[in-house]
Amino acid sequence: MDPQPEPVSYICGDCGMENTLKPGDVIQCRECGYRILYKKRTRRIIQYEAR
Amino acid sequence: MEGGGGASYQRFPVVKVRETKDDYLKFELRGTDASVANALRRVMIAEVPTIAIDLVEIEVNSSVLNDEFIAHRLGLVPLTSDRAMSMRFSRDCDACDGDGQCEFCSVEFHLRAKCMTDQTLDVTSKDLISSDHTVVPVDFSDALADDSAEQKGITIVKLRRGQELRLRAIARKGIGKDHAKWSPAATVTFMYEPEIHINEDLVETLSLEEKQSWVESSPTKVFDINPNTEQVLVVDPEAYTYDEEVIKKAEAMGKPGLVEIYAKEDSFIFTVESTGAIKASQLVLNAIDVLKQKLDAVRLSEDTVEADDQFGELGAHMRGG
Repeated sequence: MDPQPEPVSYICGDCGMENTLKPGDVIQCRECGYRILYKKRTRRIIQYEAR
Repeated sequence: MEGGGGASYQRFPVVKVRETKDDYLKFELRGTDASVANALRRVMIAEVPTIAIDLVEIEVNSSVLNDEFIAHRLGLVPLTSDRAMSMRFSRDCDACDGDGQCEFCSVEFHLRAKCMTDQTLDVTSKDLISSDHTVVPVDFSDALADDSAEQKGITIVKLRRGQELRLRAIARKGIGKDHAKWSPAATVTFMYEPEIHINEDLVETLSLEEKQSWVESSPTKVFDINPNTEQVLVVDPEAYTYDEEVIKKAEAMGKPGLVEIYAKEDSFIFTVESTGAIKASQLVLNAIDVLKQKLDAVRLSEDTVEADDQFGELGAHMRGG
């Protein structure tokens, strides 16, 4: 879909630090090593059918 | 249509309006049969077009409800649809490429709300900003008949401090058969008009107490006793719900045939309640229009071979008038 996959940012479940991950990266916070990361909502517009 | 021979099935139904309000209509339909009455009812529910939000583009949503949930709620908001009959379905609109961005088949809405205070912010249908002043969320304020508290419209979501909702929605013409959100009818019912015959001679063989208990056996107040003459009379035949309680009671009292009740097969009493998208009276008129269009479609294919296969016996009805 996109020409190059843009890095997606995640928020650490422990320290709240924002991490950017690319495909293949280890899922781990760069700051504290915590392994639970939460994906941020896109800034793009999302379309839904109202049904 | 002419010719064909055979008996004519043409009838001339009569409508008498009993009570009409913006969102409520009660009328009598006489001189036709149940198939026509039921067709009218079904068309009112499922085939009279209205306008409803069909596509939602969410920019920001930090509310507690997820995007799909909000999109669904927006779809269910009734919009004033007086223009719907003359609008196009976006699927067969030539002026646009079907993205629902043209004046003939769609209306755009915007919603921007952000809670900046500690008090919960209610986002309602009143926050929907329409691009077309003839298509707006239905206003129920006068219908609720209390002018004390200002009316707020239909709640879509509630926001706490810092939460925000920003979106664009496209409303399109549609029918209830596709999705119930397009149905202009809240309820449409019809009943057969009852014909109630009391056997006066048999009633006079009852004591006053017996009459009283028989009258009270009806769950709805259909009968009463004249306090002077002690005669049993029918006060409200339409209150009868075809429960047959009075017939069973008469049998239990050992007086079968005390009352005979028939449903008149050519008389119907309709009750129509609208969602507010169009007036109840307009709903009936539109339903008749839609029904006529459907019959025209049948008539146009009358002479074809396919029609013979498709309609068979019905052909006689169509040629008969």
